Amino acid sequence: MKRILNTLCRELRMLRHHPRYMILLTAGILFSYVFFLTFMHEGQPENLPIAVVDHDGSYLSRRLCHELNATQGVDVVAIYDTHREAREAMQRQEIFAFLEIPAGTYSELLDFKTPHIALYSNNAYLLSGTLSYKTLSTIGKLASAAVQREVLRKKGLAESQIMGMLQPVEIDTHLISNPWGSYLPYVLTTMLPGIIGVMALLFTIYMTTNELKHNTYRLWIASADGDMLCALLGKLLPYTFWFTLLGVVGNIVMFGFCHFVCRGSFLALSATMLLFILAMQSMGVFIAGLIPDQHLAVSIGGIYGMLSFSMAGFSYPVDSMPPALQALSYIFPLRHHYLAYAKTALFGGTLADYWPHICLLLLFLVPGLVGGLLLMRQSVGDEGCVPSVSNNKQSV
Amino acid sequence: MMKQTLNNIYSGLQDIFEVFTLELHRIFTDGGVMLIFFVATLLYPLIFGAIYKYELVRNLPVAVVDDSQSEPSRRFIRKMDATPEVNVDFCCRTLEEAEALMRQRKINGIVYFPKEYNNQLVIGEQARLCLFCDMSSFLYYRSVFTGASSVMLDEMKQIQLERYAMAGTTGAGAEEMITAIPYDDVKLFSPAGGFTSFLVPALLALVIHQTLFLGICILSGTIREEGQTVAVIPERLRNRSVYRVVIGRSIAYSMLYIPLVAIDLVLLPRVFGLPHIGRLGDLCLFLLPFLLATISFSMTVGAFVRERDTVVLTCIFFSVILLFLSGVVWPRSNMPAFWRFFSYLFPSTHGIQGFVRINSMGAELRQVRFEYLMLWIQAGTYFLTSCLLYRLFFLHERLKKSAKLTDII
Repeated sequence: MKRILNTLCRELRMLRHHPRYMILLTAGILFSYVFFLTFMHEGQPENLPIAVVDHDGSYLSRRLCHELNATQGVDVVAIYDTHREAREAMQRQEIFAFLEIPAGTYSELLDFKTPHIALYSNNAYLLSGTLSYKTLSTIGKLASAAVQREVLRKKGLAESQIMGMLQPVEIDTHLISNPWGSYLPYVLTTMLPGIIGVMALLFTIYMTTNELKHNTYRLWIASADGDMLCALLGKLLPYTFWFTLLGVVGNIVMFGFCHFVCRGSFLALSATMLLFILAMQSMGVFIAGLIPDQHLAVSIGGIYGMLSFSMAGFSYPVDSMPPALQALSYIFPLRHHYLAYAKTALFGGTLADYWPHICLLLLFLVPGLVGGLLLMRQSVGDEGCVPSVSNNKQSV
Repeated sequence: MMKQTLNNIYSGLQDIFEVFTLELHRIFTDGGVMLIFFVATLLYPLIFGAIYKYELVRNLPVAVVDDSQSEPSRRFIRKMDATPEVNVDFCCRTLEEAEALMRQRKINGIVYFPKEYNNQLVIGEQARLCLFCDMSSFLYYRSVFTGASSVMLDEMKQIQLERYAMAGTTGAGAEEMITAIPYDDVKLFSPAGGFTSFLVPALLALVIHQTLFLGICILSGTIREEGQTVAVIPERLRNRSVYRVVIGRSIAYSMLYIPLVAIDLVLLPRVFGLPHIGRLGDLCLFLLPFLLATISFSMTVGAFVRERDTVVLTCIFFSVILLFLSGVVWPRSNMPAFWRFFSYLFPSTHGIQGFVRINSMGAELRQVRFEYLMLWIQAGTYFLTSCLLYRLFFLHERLKKSAKLTDII
């Protein structure tokens, strides 16, 4: 215990002299919080720009425009005469979708013929394309229903009967723990811990390899009386505390102020955050132990860290990846954090549901120990050459 | 006079060449930079290609709770099982049971038929069923919802036809009534609505931007770290114009990156079967300012870097933010104005936008005019700022040195 405290004091002293990195990292994390919270404040994109290609110029086409404008999802920003104009506007990204109404639509409708209209949506921008398509197709269905209702009314059917004719089956959709279908809880709850985790990982690699680089390695180990585990704990615990604190503050902002749904216990989420940070730090020690060259280790850590965002499976599910990658996803702590979060916060799971992820996160401490051992061997190997370096320095 | 000008040009070219070879030497002797320049640019696209190989989320497991136990509900379940989106893997007796499965993440959706489902259908009212969607990923929600609503539309049509028949309208007349104004939906540029075709092109352009940015900043940081602040400007060039250094270094990066850009942004979309309907000429013309703007932007930022690892440590998380700022994930029309203008600072924003539009949407150069112009403006402005900064740092350093000298004297 005393050894840990010794190293800890040494680390805090070092931190006081060189606080630049810590300040930069904290500023980066706070910036991400502010960025994501303000960037997508709408939750779901509203009033997406769309256009109407109106060859008909009738009461019906104008009515459809009004109906579209009245929805929350889209906004008719232009009315074009030709298909080509609309397509080009789409390629200029002025609109995400358009509705084409052929000439004679209204008169055909009045003649009890079946006029066709066409919806075009841009799937190269998946989110905006899908959302604007959704609104357009709803309006398309409603248009048919409106015609039906008029005819049925004239036939003298009762209103309840008419509804049964128009839509005999209705789906009552419940979006579990995100009733608004908002993007904020979906993106933030994994993205922000991910950013903090990547920073913890890189910072750990940087701090441990720094000791090698500046030849302060033996001083560090000596401060813990030669005990590698204590040395590591003393060195990394202040940052574990700081990053976890930032993560928990983030959780308080998200689940407290922004009212994201958390059905499970907040304590469990915070514990998961702590384990996640520990796991990332442990991976950092592992990488530093494998690759003692600081520059290389930091670069490799960066490549590994950035992959966690894809491999966590919150944007694209892991079950839909090729099997080899599904197996690979286990080596990314963010994946386990995400699963534990989903089970706790979204579904109100208890320890009985998410214990596997907790265990796996704990398992990540093993590579950290291996990394510690490797670092230890490094120091034994280095002892021979350390004096020679200092000799060189003297000669210089 | 003439001769002097020629001489100047000649010496200028010589200097540029010297800086160029020096920079190449630096790159090829630095493991960290080589890793970012060559391994990351080639590895990331391959991994992304593998991760998002299947485009769509198919056969999601869902559970069914059927309180109605009737013919229509069973038909609905059968049809749902037959959709490509979902598989009905579990039939539960109660909602609690299904909920427990959901908590264990064995299923991604629950379909619940209330007791009165069949009765309502029989007496000609509106029947209602409940759908519970897993919101931990939007693709789950999308697939479960699409699967259920396609079956609903199919069922609805059948029931409507029956009801019209009871009301005395049959055949084509009833069909026409049900869909008075049928619509054709055309999903442009990626008919299946796949996730890969949408995200990977943007990621490819982002990889180019970020690796170039990190690599250049690391190189600048290394020079500073070696204690030779002025070494940005080689000995021989001490008192000559600094633009030669900037140009020399830019040429080195461009030369290395032209083949990498060709592989990542031209070849790989074709190899991976991503959309690639753009004209090759337009694409190349567009990628040139993207490359130049990225290089000069990185050199401008690099001028401030004091330690090489600072950049990786503090800037790598910015990749995620740049992806959002590019407007591919979140529409540009819905960004707060401040962030939209902020995004104009980065070449990645325009690079990704333009690349996606030319490559995936077949836009011509005139349709990405804004992005194209912005990239040239950025290339020019950042070139000037990097020259200016190098000059400033150079003068600053000389001032410090002369001050030291006078101290010694």
